[in-house]
Amino acid sequence: MKILEVKNIVKKIGQEEILKGINLSIERGEFVSIVGASGSGKSSLLYILGLLDRPTEGEVYIDNKKIDFDSDVSLIRNRRIGFVFQFHYLLPEFTLLENVMLPLIKAKVDRKKAEHIAYELLQMLGLNGKEKRKIYQVSGGEMQRVAIARALANDQDIILADEPTGNLDSKNTYKVMEIFQEVNSKGKTIVMVTHEMDLAQMTKRIITMKDGTITDDKRLEL
Amino acid sequence: MRYILFIALKLLLERKRQTTVSTLGVAIGVSAFIAMSSLMMGFQGYFIQQVIDLEPHITIKPTEEIDEKRIVKKFDGESLVEIYGSKPKEKDKIIGWKDLVEELQKENRISGVAPRLVTRGILKYGVKEKPVTILGIDPNLEPKASIVEKFLENKNLHLLKSDKDTVIIGKLVAKSLGIREINKKLILVTPNGNSQLVKVVDFFNSGITNIDDARVYINMKTLQALMERPNESNQIILKVKDVNEAEKISKNLQKRLPFQVESWQRAYANFLSIFKIQNIITYMIVIAILTVSAFGILNIISMTVMEKRKDIAILMAMGYSRMDILLIFLCQGLIIGAIGAIIGCIVGFGLQEYMESIELDVEGIVRTKGFVLDRSPMYYLYGSLFSLLFSILASFYPSYKASKLNPVDIFRSGG
Repeated sequence: MKILEVKNIVKKIGQEEILKGINLSIERGEFVSIVGASGSGKSSLLYILGLLDRPTEGEVYIDNKKIDFDSDVSLIRNRRIGFVFQFHYLLPEFTLLENVMLPLIKAKVDRKKAEHIAYELLQMLGLNGKEKRKIYQVSGGEMQRVAIARALANDQDIILADEPTGNLDSKNTYKVMEIFQEVNSKGKTIVMVTHEMDLAQMTKRIITMKDGTITDDKRLEL
Repeated sequence: MRYILFIALKLLLERKRQTTVSTLGVAIGVSAFIAMSSLMMGFQGYFIQQVIDLEPHITIKPTEEIDEKRIVKKFDGESLVEIYGSKPKEKDKIIGWKDLVEELQKENRISGVAPRLVTRGILKYGVKEKPVTILGIDPNLEPKASIVEKFLENKNLHLLKSDKDTVIIGKLVAKSLGIREINKKLILVTPNGNSQLVKVVDFFNSGITNIDDARVYINMKTLQALMERPNESNQIILKVKDVNEAEKISKNLQKRLPFQVESWQRAYANFLSIFKIQNIITYMIVIAILTVSAFGILNIISMTVMEKRKDIAILMAMGYSRMDILLIFLCQGLIIGAIGAIIGCIVGFGLQEYMESIELDVEGIVRTKGFVLDRSPMYYLYGSLFSLLFSILASFYPSYKASKLNPVDIFRSGG
């Protein structure tokens, strides 16, 4: 069953066409990696898939429902989509626990319940005992794990990751990939942009992009 | 809204120094507003209240008509000379004043009517002389039309009835002549050259300098005799039930009566217009203070927005709407404004307490033993509302800019 689909997506920045009529559909529970050289349009496609950016032309569907970009799509992002970026983008004023709680409190989850969910997620990602710490009190790998916890907080079924291991050493990189695989095994759909082929090999499907078009799309047998 | 408040508070608390400075700016503005308003309005209110208590609400005087025929036009050599300054056509008296007093006493909106004979004169005490305004009053009717007794130090108004050769003099008149106690005898000289020995039975101390420095009360009959104007009155004073209606009533009376009718508002129009200018200046200063504090808020919110671009982008990625972002930053301005207002109210209260405790002789238009304050709670309300309004105005633009940030641009640039 398709969870994400884009049809004839064109994205222009000024006169430059950075996505040239992309057609793509992603099934529920897939773990997809998008690879390609820098400037191939993979991040741009991810932002459109995540409803953070609107396409110049074309349509986006989530669960076969067409997204109206003129309406407020922030609620869909909050309930359905979790983002993980190369940089953790954690808010320095907040503790790790509070950072994970941010999507929950936006979803009007009761504070106690939000705390409980955030606490459990941090435990699941091996951060127990560090909930009350500020971000400068933990390592880069731990920060990225908090960012993953935040992306999962509202039980989002779509996780979009843009070079999530770009700033991590190899140990933490594989730790993050293990987490993604575990999350994926629980039915979450993951779309990950990366330029590292060995990481892409750990996913179930590799989409290759070049100059704003999809040049290859292959499913891997794991 | 709770999540908006949660994030806004967190962001503010992490910038303690800037938040404190901005909050103090608002607090200073609010406390200045409260202190200055209560001082200015207290002084003005005191003055107006004294005037309302002391002065007639409405005064009826003979109309001073210039006899046009008496303006002399003549040739002085080659040029035409016009001479102005002709004497008033009417004599300085109200003809039929007794009937008029009776008629006015029946008016529903008028609570008291009293006749007066008013003239200028000189008081002599030893070698000292003092030009004064002599008010010949009817001691029976006068208390109904003005609260003269309230300002008498010894409450001896009744003595004007029993002993016709007595006077009540202003406190500053007494001070000028060197009189410190009652029962002193002095000479009252009227403009027609007559003089009489009179005894001081009381001092009149209203606190209004120009009144206390000029006024002498005497029995009207005594003054009539002294002025050789038996049974004459040149002023009828009225007390109305609603002081704010005085101008309206005076205009109605003016239409009916062939005399000059003047309300207290018109008699003190100069002072009232000075008060208006004074209020404008006061509020301009306060607005300037609040504007400076508003710029403080504008500065802190703008700085926060600039530094928090990455955080705004990730909040949007998490599903926070543009309205949420606008409210988060607007809320910060409001929190600064609200806390500033609370501190400002407390400091304003302290300033009022301090000003009230100061003992000093204020000598100006009014004389008091310290500051006269109007401690209306409305100044706290207005001050707080102004500060909140300024805070919202100051934080709106940077908040709006924050809500318009494009998260994709921020993610692309790596924050």
